[in-house]
Amino acid sequence: MIDYIIKLKRETRSIFKDRWVWIMAWRDARHNFSRLFLFTASLITGIAAVVAIGSLNNSLQDDLDRNAKELLGADFVVNGNKKFEKELLAEFDSLKFEQASQAEMASMVMFMNTKQSRLVRVVSLSGDFPFYGKLETQPADAYSKMKSGRFVMLDDALARQFEVSSDDSVKVGNTIFKIAGVVMKIPGGGGITATFTPSVYIAQTELDSTGLVQFGSRVTYHQFFKTKTDAEAEKAEKKLDPTLKKFGHWLETVKGRREGLGQGFKSVYRFFSLLAFVALILGCIGVASSVHIYAREKREEVAVLRCVGSSGWQAFNIYFIQVFVLGIAGSIIGSALGVGIQQIVPTFFQQYIPVELKFTISWIAVLEGLFLGAIVSVLFTILPLVSVRFVPPLAVLRSDFEPGRIFSKTKIAAIILIVLFPILAAAYQTGSIVTGALFAVGLGIALGFLTLVAMLLLFLVRRFFPKNSSFIFRHALSNLFRPNNQTRVLMVSIGLGAFIIATLNIIQSSLLSQVEFTGSENQSNTILFDIQPNQRDGVVKLIEDNKLPVNQVVPIITCRISEVKGKTVEFLQNDGEDKIPNWALTREYRVTYRDSLHHSEELMKGEVQSRKSGQKDSVWVSISEGFQETLEVDIGDSITFDVQGVPVKTRISGIRKVDWPKDPPNFIFVFPKGVLENAPQIWVATTRANDNVVANKFQQELVVSYPNVSLIDLRLVLSTVNDLFSKISLVVRFLALFSIITGLVVLAGAVLNSKFVRIKENVLLRTIGARTSQLTKITLIEYAYLGLFSALTGIILSLASGFVLTKFFFEITFSFDAVELGLIGIGVVVLTVLIGYFNSREVITTPPLQVLRKEG
Amino acid sequence: MAEVVLQAEGLKKIYRSAERELTVLDDVSFTVEQGTTLSIIGPSGSGKTTLLGLCAGLDVPTSGIISLMGFKLNAMNEDDRAYMRNQFVGFVFQNFQLLSTLTALENVMVPLELRGERNIAAKAKELLGRVGLGDRLNHYPSQLSGGEQQRVAMARAFITSPKILFADEPTGNLDEENAGHITDLLFGMNREEKTTLILVTHNLELAQRTERILQMKGGKVVQERIVTPA
Repeated sequence: MIDYIIKLKRETRSIFKDRWVWIMAWRDARHNFSRLFLFTASLITGIAAVVAIGSLNNSLQDDLDRNAKELLGADFVVNGNKKFEKELLAEFDSLKFEQASQAEMASMVMFMNTKQSRLVRVVSLSGDFPFYGKLETQPADAYSKMKSGRFVMLDDALARQFEVSSDDSVKVGNTIFKIAGVVMKIPGGGGITATFTPSVYIAQTELDSTGLVQFGSRVTYHQFFKTKTDAEAEKAEKKLDPTLKKFGHWLETVKGRREGLGQGFKSVYRFFSLLAFVALILGCIGVASSVHIYAREKREEVAVLRCVGSSGWQAFNIYFIQVFVLGIAGSIIGSALGVGIQQIVPTFFQQYIPVELKFTISWIAVLEGLFLGAIVSVLFTILPLVSVRFVPPLAVLRSDFEPGRIFSKTKIAAIILIVLFPILAAAYQTGSIVTGALFAVGLGIALGFLTLVAMLLLFLVRRFFPKNSSFIFRHALSNLFRPNNQTRVLMVSIGLGAFIIATLNIIQSSLLSQVEFTGSENQSNTILFDIQPNQRDGVVKLIEDNKLPVNQVVPIITCRISEVKGKTVEFLQNDGEDKIPNWALTREYRVTYRDSLHHSEELMKGEVQSRKSGQKDSVWVSISEGFQETLEVDIGDSITFDVQGVPVKTRISGIRKVDWPKDPPNFIFVFPKGVLENAPQIWVATTRANDNVVANKFQQELVVSYPNVSLIDLRLVLSTVNDLFSKISLVVRFLALFSIITGLVVLAGAVLNSKFVRIKENVLLRTIGARTSQLTKITLIEYAYLGLFSALTGIILSLASGFVLTKFFFEITFSFDAVELGLIGIGVVVLTVLIGYFNSREVITTPPLQVLRKEG
Repeated sequence: MAEVVLQAEGLKKIYRSAERELTVLDDVSFTVEQGTTLSIIGPSGSGKTTLLGLCAGLDVPTSGIISLMGFKLNAMNEDDRAYMRNQFVGFVFQNFQLLSTLTALENVMVPLELRGERNIAAKAKELLGRVGLGDRLNHYPSQLSGGEQQRVAMARAFITSPKILFADEPTGNLDEENAGHITDLLFGMNREEKTTLILVTHNLELAQRTERILQMKGGKVVQERIVTPA
């Protein structure tokens, strides 16, 4: 009965109605602002990263929507790798839409001012392209001037590279064109392709005069259409479809390109957003770790509050309010910072984005950031704060008194939600619950491994640290093992940042070493293609005259497939059962003939291609690994090729594994000798030019003597790949830096948390005679250890993950640059020492008497 | 006959750890009447602080019954006992136990604020004035001397006009002069407020100022005596 009365009288107030907890939260917080702010500072970086990437993606998708028709410059376009057939052209005309056409091909051009040459994309235009958007040129009349005769327009970057002006001229094929101006922006242009091969524009009427279109030239044709309504475009698409399929051409609509681009950017966004999310998770760990220590420190005060009548929930609410309110403040600051960062990122990538990026704030991304911050502030503080609820009042009398294990439903719920959080959040970011779960599991494994490596490192260092080393080195090390020092958490969070950066570096090194031709003596670095049969000997002589090695001279024959296993292409296209993709059936194949394997090839199954006399199907060809699955064929199956109108029935003799980047050209199909020698063919030659002067001289002579022959300088490709990768990795590094910054914020928090213990230790050391310089050295060495161990943790794991990724995902040779990894390590150590020392100055400089008085 | 505010019956407290069992209190029984003073004395480890903790509802006995103001503490959960303490109990500790982030005034106001009472600053100021700290209202504990901190703790203990005040070695951390002041203040305020005082101390001289002394040894009450006023 009495208990009943007590329960009735005791009024339980919710957090919102309990004025006292809010007052107490404020009173307590005003002395701990700097420390409390550090809890949320780790949140700020994570939220900033998430909002920046989210807002950038939303802005980009909006820009793509707004400028959708500019992406194509027309309502729809028909593309083909061969000239459009008369039947198709008649169908185009029957649509009665406004049309424009374009043909493009790779070719060498020579800049007459300097006599330098370069492989470019020659684009010939006719009609009033673009129908949507503006072709921006300098001067403004350059486009109309170009259409009027032998004038050329150049991409802005190309004009800058070769420092050409309007008085200069360019030799395209056999013809010299005056420069009409530069193209600043063209609908449908830009993107990554433009980085590799910049464009030169001429009028279509002038294309023939260049002599570039010869047998075997790889020309892509586009026919642009302008319709009055979207419905008309859809109708036309349906009408043209059977004919396009028949001839192997394809149609692209505004919607299709918008979706393709949107999807492409979305994939990039998802990758970056997951990296940003890693920073956020680290921030969560930082918050939880700091709040854990904060809650332990508040134990005595909570016990006093419990003595004077506070309930467990009231005590909990005081500290929860503090952390939550500052968490929200941190989220707001993080969101604002993210919006600021959003402005910086496009400066690196504008050239790869086909639309003009306008700076808009994505309120959805900001709201997501705030919401995420609120969830994190609740979830990751509840768990460490739950212990406050169970602080026994008896602790005021016996500070070491610990209640037994207490079952708390709140704690269990918090643990479940914390486990679910990364899964659900990653699923939301990637739009797939499976990907989200895999990412969360992957992150969990990475964090688990980082923790293991960190523990192992600490164990080994402690075990094998030289016992006779100087006192300051030993003492600095023992400081790492101070209770509540959070050494392991710091090693994991800083180590994760180092891990991401180092892994990226390893993959970049491995990829670049894969395409790195300069290091290998026998590899070709210059490829000459489109050599006509009558030019072959001359080109070879030119190579030899320049004292360059002739590595390969390979014939190339273009053909198409007409039958697979006795079934015609038309039958296979319409047969629902066969899963052979249409592009594989209708594409143009470039094949060669020889009786042996190239050194980039390895026979996986069957035999090398050969002619088997006496057999009914005497031509046995080999196919590259993987493509036999695309065409659903195996050893012995028949494929009939249409070689320039002549059917050639073949059978599969073997399957070759091809190391594609190694000494190109490499081929899907290789014929035996004695079959295609008389077929129309072009030749490819490869050589190696190490000296720039020799290479330039050779290129000039080639363009003058054989204007239709194109040359790919792989060194230029390599530097472009490197440049592109550097830009991508800059963003990844930038995001990984968030992880390191988060780790450093946690470090600053840990230093402040342990400040008083450190001051007391230093006072003791000073009392027994330690000098300021010795204390400074101990502090610096302690943080150097921490930075070094964190960097080592990350780098050791990155070597393992780099090995796995290169071997199984990229399928390339694992390699790394030890110097660059060393620099990453040094960077982490320097940052850690700076942050640690900056926050420890007071610890070092506090006079002993000041502390002893306080203690007294 | 005066009302019984505290009744302990057959109290037993055993601490269990993995290796062993430690009986800290064994069959302790006594009663305390309203307005009286009692001191618990004994050597270190005799169980006197444990007894104080049990009587104040800071912990629960392994067996036996404690009844405070007629309410059985054993049957209550921790939050109910906290409510009881807020309503009826005051504390003074050896190491003052002030909240370091609160001013002297705020420390004193906390127990009444917990009750949800408003406009309590005047009462807190009046109490701080009574303990001689009227000019130190906005000082933080770190800005006060040990004696001053203990006076703030006493003002906090008396602000709820508790029925019973528990004091654990209230002069244990003070010099002789300050200890004397605090003792006088403690007994003076106790008299004025008609509070029941239970004091745990090593100091026999201090214990002599209470009406009754419980002598403890090895977890048992070995002697109970009435103090004859000098």
